[in-house]
Amino acid sequence: MFRNYLKIALRNLLRNKLNTGINIISLAIGLSASFVIGLMVYYDLTFDTYHPDSGRVYRVTSRFTSPQDEFVNPGVPIPLPQAAREEMTGLEIVAGFNTVDLHKAGNPESGLDFKDPGPQVFADAAYFKLFKYDWLAGTPEGLGEPYRVVLTRERAARYFPELNPAQTLGKTLVYNDSIPATVAGIVAAPQGRTDLVFEEFLSSGTFQKTDRGHYAIAADWGSTNSSDQLFVRLSPGTDPTAVQKQLDRIAKAQESDYDRQYNHHRTFELQPFSDLHFNSELQTFDNGRQPATSRPVLTGLGCIALFLLLLGCINFINLSTAQADQRAREIGIRKTLGSSKKQLLLQFLGETFLLTLLAALLSIVLSYFLLDTFAEFLPEGLHFGNFRETPVMLFAGALLTGVALLAGFYPALVLTRFQPVRVLKNQVVNTPGKPTLRRILTVFQFAIAQIFIIATLLVGKQIRYMQNKDHGFRTDAIAYLHAPWHLTSLDKNERLAREIAKIPQVRAVALGGNPPASNSSSTSTAVFFRDSTEIQSPLQMLAGSREYYDLYNFEFLAGRKPLNDTILEYVINEAYLHIIGFENPEDALNQNIRMNDENRPIVGVVRDFNPRTAAAKIGPIAIMPDWDRSREYSRFNFIHLDLKNPGDGSLSPTISAIEERYKEVYPDADFELNFMDETIAGFYQDERSLAKLLGWAMGLSVLISCLGLLGLVIYTTNRRTKEIGIRKVLGASLAQLGLLLSRDFLVLVGIAFLIAAPLAGWGLYSWLQDYAYRTELSWWVFILSGVGMIALALLIMGLRTLAVARKNPVESLRTE
Amino acid sequence: MLLELNNIFKWVTQGGNRVFLLKHLDLAVEQGDFLSVMGPSGSGKSTLLHVLGMLDDFNEGEYYFQGEPVHGFRDKQRARFQKEHIGFVFQAYHLIDELTVYENIETPLLYQKVSSSERKALVADMLDRFGIVGKKDLFPAQLSGGQQQLVGVARALIGKPRLLLADEPTGNLNSRQSREIMELFQELNAEGTTIIQATHSETNAAYGSRTLHLLDGSWTSTPEP
Repeated sequence: MFRNYLKIALRNLLRNKLNTGINIISLAIGLSASFVIGLMVYYDLTFDTYHPDSGRVYRVTSRFTSPQDEFVNPGVPIPLPQAAREEMTGLEIVAGFNTVDLHKAGNPESGLDFKDPGPQVFADAAYFKLFKYDWLAGTPEGLGEPYRVVLTRERAARYFPELNPAQTLGKTLVYNDSIPATVAGIVAAPQGRTDLVFEEFLSSGTFQKTDRGHYAIAADWGSTNSSDQLFVRLSPGTDPTAVQKQLDRIAKAQESDYDRQYNHHRTFELQPFSDLHFNSELQTFDNGRQPATSRPVLTGLGCIALFLLLLGCINFINLSTAQADQRAREIGIRKTLGSSKKQLLLQFLGETFLLTLLAALLSIVLSYFLLDTFAEFLPEGLHFGNFRETPVMLFAGALLTGVALLAGFYPALVLTRFQPVRVLKNQVVNTPGKPTLRRILTVFQFAIAQIFIIATLLVGKQIRYMQNKDHGFRTDAIAYLHAPWHLTSLDKNERLAREIAKIPQVRAVALGGNPPASNSSSTSTAVFFRDSTEIQSPLQMLAGSREYYDLYNFEFLAGRKPLNDTILEYVINEAYLHIIGFENPEDALNQNIRMNDENRPIVGVVRDFNPRTAAAKIGPIAIMPDWDRSREYSRFNFIHLDLKNPGDGSLSPTISAIEERYKEVYPDADFELNFMDETIAGFYQDERSLAKLLGWAMGLSVLISCLGLLGLVIYTTNRRTKEIGIRKVLGASLAQLGLLLSRDFLVLVGIAFLIAAPLAGWGLYSWLQDYAYRTELSWWVFILSGVGMIALALLIMGLRTLAVARKNPVESLRTE
Repeated sequence: MLLELNNIFKWVTQGGNRVFLLKHLDLAVEQGDFLSVMGPSGSGKSTLLHVLGMLDDFNEGEYYFQGEPVHGFRDKQRARFQKEHIGFVFQAYHLIDELTVYENIETPLLYQKVSSSERKALVADMLDRFGIVGKKDLFPAQLSGGQQQLVGVARALIGKPRLLLADEPTGNLNSRQSREIMELFQELNAEGTTIIQATHSETNAAYGSRTLHLLDGSWTSTPEP
C-alpha cells in the first residue's frame, strides 16, 4: 500500500513539473527561513542552561531613580554580598565576584608577557558551586587565600605551553607587573554555550591588592561599579518575592541623607539567570560581544519566517485545489475500487509530506547560503553544524509535519469530497474547492508582500534621511585617532600632533577628547541658577582645543571660543541654552554654570549638532578646554585630522605616513585611524541590518506570491483555451483578451494593496516614533510600491495570457 | 436471490420540477444471472447500474442485496459491501493513468487488506488468465483500447466479486475487441459470476441470459424473474 502511494505520488509530482517546482521552491524558502531563525532562537535560548538548578539562579542588580532620570547598573555595592550572606534567608549560595581587565599577565619563569589576556574575575569557591566547571587539577577551595589563580585549560596552555594541568599547579604568574598569583587549579572550558567568558579566576582575597582594592577595604555602600557582581541561588521552594523584600529592606537601611534629601532611590533587583543573555541594558561580561538578538527582534524574525511559510503553504493550497479536477478521476476510481475517505486523505497528506520533504532537502542547501548572507545578524558561535544537534532535528521534523498538515489538509479534504458517480459521469467540470477561498488566500499573499515592499522602501528612506541629515559639524575628510589609554600623556600627544601636522596631505590637526559624535560620552550634573531657582540637568561634556572648533566647523550663534586650551570656559549647545531658559544666545553669555562646586562662565553658544544617531533627540552638551589638566590629567587623548582629498583617490600613503609618526611616539600601541563618516555610518548599523532583512523578506515574499500567481494564471488560461479561441474567432483583440484573462487577478492584487497600505502605514508610523528626527511617511512610497506590485503581476500574467491569446484559434478549438 | 429492487424512484429537481431518472422500478436478479439492460441514451441505464453498485443514492424504494437492506445502510456499511461484493467495468475503462497494469489490477486488493504475498499471487493469476503478463509494467496509455478494457475487467474481478456491473463495456472498442470481451463475460458467467451489463448493442445483449429494456427510467415490459 505504502509503496503504491509513494509511486503514484512521485509520478504525479513528476507529471506536473511546473506545479511541483512552484510548490517546492515556495515551501523551501519558507522552510529555510524557519530553519535559520529557529536555529537562532534555539542558539540564544540555550545559554547557560547546563548549570545545576539554573532556574533558581539570579543576579542582583541595582536600579537608581531620581526625579530627573532612572538608570540601572548590573553591579552592586561591594558590601552587599557580605550583607546577603549574613542578613538574608532563603539563599542557598551567595556568590559575589569582581570582574577586571588586567592588562598584562607575565610568566616570570619563561619571561613571556601576555598583553590584554582578556577578562578575569576575582572569585571564591561559591562561584564554582553556583556555576558548573569540570576540574582537571586542584579544587575550588584553593581560592581561599590571596594570590591564587585558577585557569582554564586553554589559558594554562597559553601561559605554560610545556606543562599538563597537574604540572601547572603551584606555578606563578604576575599580573600588571605587581600582582603575583600561584596556580591553584585548572578547569576545563565550559561544556555548553555560556556568557561567563572568564578564563582566569583570581582568589577574592587578591582583589584588595589591586588598584581598586581600596574600595574593597572601604566597603562603601555609596558607590556602585558594574564590575562588582552578585549572583545568588535561592533555596528550593523559595519565593523570589520574599528575597526581593529582604533586598528592599537592605536598600532602605542603607539609604543616605543625601538620597533622602534629593529623593534619590536605589533598589536591588533580582535578574533571572535566563534573562542575562538577552538583557541589553544590563549586559553580560563580554563587552566586545555583539549584543544578543533581543527578544523582540527574535519575535520579528519568527513572524517573517512564519509569513514566508504561510505564503508557501498558500501556493500549495491554491494550486492543488485549482487543479483538483485533474486528480478527480483517480479519486473516483479509487472510491469505486473500495477506498475509504480516510485512506484517500492519508494518501494525499502523504503526498504533501513527500513534497515537503523534497522542499526540506532543498531548504537545507538554501539555509547554508542564508546563514552566510545573514552572518552579521548571527552570533559567532552559530553555524551550519548546529543543525546536527538533536533538539534542532526534532524541531525540523515537527516543522515539516506541521507544514505538510497545514498545506495538505484542506486540499486533501477537497479532493476526497468528490462523488465517484459524478466523476465517472464526467460531471466535475465545476470548480473544485472554493474559488472564494483561493481569492482570499491570494489577497493575503499579496498583502504580505506589499507590506514588505512598503516597509523596505520606507526604512531605506529613513536611513538615507538620517545619513544625509546635516550633523551640525563637518564630517567629510575628517579622521581621528586615539592615544593608547593607559600610556597616554599630554606631552606625547602634543608631539604626535606636531609631527602629524607636518605631513603635507594633512590640512589641519586638533587635540581634543572624543569626536563630537561617538559611542562613548561622559555626562555630569550641571547646576544653573536663574532668578534664584536652581536648574539641575545632566550635561554631556566634550573636551576640545581651540583648533577642535575650527576643524569640526561648529557654527557659533553667539560668543567665541575659549581663550586658550586650559582656561575653564563653557561653550554650550542650543539644547542646554533652552534648558537653562534662554531664547536668545547672546543672553547666556557670561552666565555661570556650576559643576563640581566650581562656577565657570559660558563664553559661546553653538548650533545643535548630533552627538549620536538621528534617532535620539539632541541633549544638552558643553564643550570645554582640557578641564582636568590642573589635576595632572589630560582629556586630550584624541588627535583629530583634517585630510586633503588626494587627487588619485587613494588615502593609503597618507595613512601609512600617519601610522609611522604614531609608532614613533607609541611604539607598543595598536594604530587605528577612524573616519568620521564611517563612524556615523556605523551608528546606523542596526537600521541597515533591518533594511537588509526587510529587503530579503520582500524579495522572497514577492517571489513566492508571484510564483503562485503564475501557477494560477497558467491554470486558468489552460481551462479557458476554448473560450479564448471562440472569442478570437468572434473578433476580440489581443489587448481585450489579455485584460479579460488578467482582470480577476488584478482586482485581487488591488484589494491586497488596499489592505496592506493602511497596515504598513500604521506599523511604520509607530516604528518612526522611535526616531527623534524622522523622514515623512510620503504618499509616493505607497503609490510606488502599489504600482510596482501591479506592474509585476501584469508582467507575469501578460507573458502567459498573451501566449495563449496569440494561439491560432483553429488549433485550440480543434482539440475539443 | 442475489439482489432485489422494489419500487425504486430516483429524481433530480430542475427548475422546481422533478425529473425522474428511475421510476417505479422493480428488479430481481438470481445468483448466476447474466442480465443485459438496453435502452436509448438517457434512459437511465447508467443510473441504474450506479444504484445497483451502491455508488449512487435513490430517493424511494427498497434495495436488498443478499437479503440485506441496502436502503437502510449507513455510508460505511455500504462502502464495505460494495468493496467486498461488487466489481465495475466502465465504458471509458477508468484505469489510473499513473499506475502500471500490474498496479492497477492490484489496487482493489490494497483496500481489502490482502497480504502482500497473496496479492502477488492473485495478480499473477489474473495477468496469466487474461494473457497480459507481458504488459504488466506498461502504463494504460501504452495499451490499445481492448487491452485497457481487459485490464479493467481483470481489475474488477480481482476481488472475486459476486456481482460484475459493466456499463457499456465495449462502447469504445471495435467489433473484434468487443467480441473478445463478451466471450470473456460469458466464460465468467459460466464460472458463476453474476453479470449485469448496460449496452446499446443487440449483439452484445444477446450474450446475456436475458434482456430488459429501459425507457425514461422504467422498464418497457414487466421483468420476469
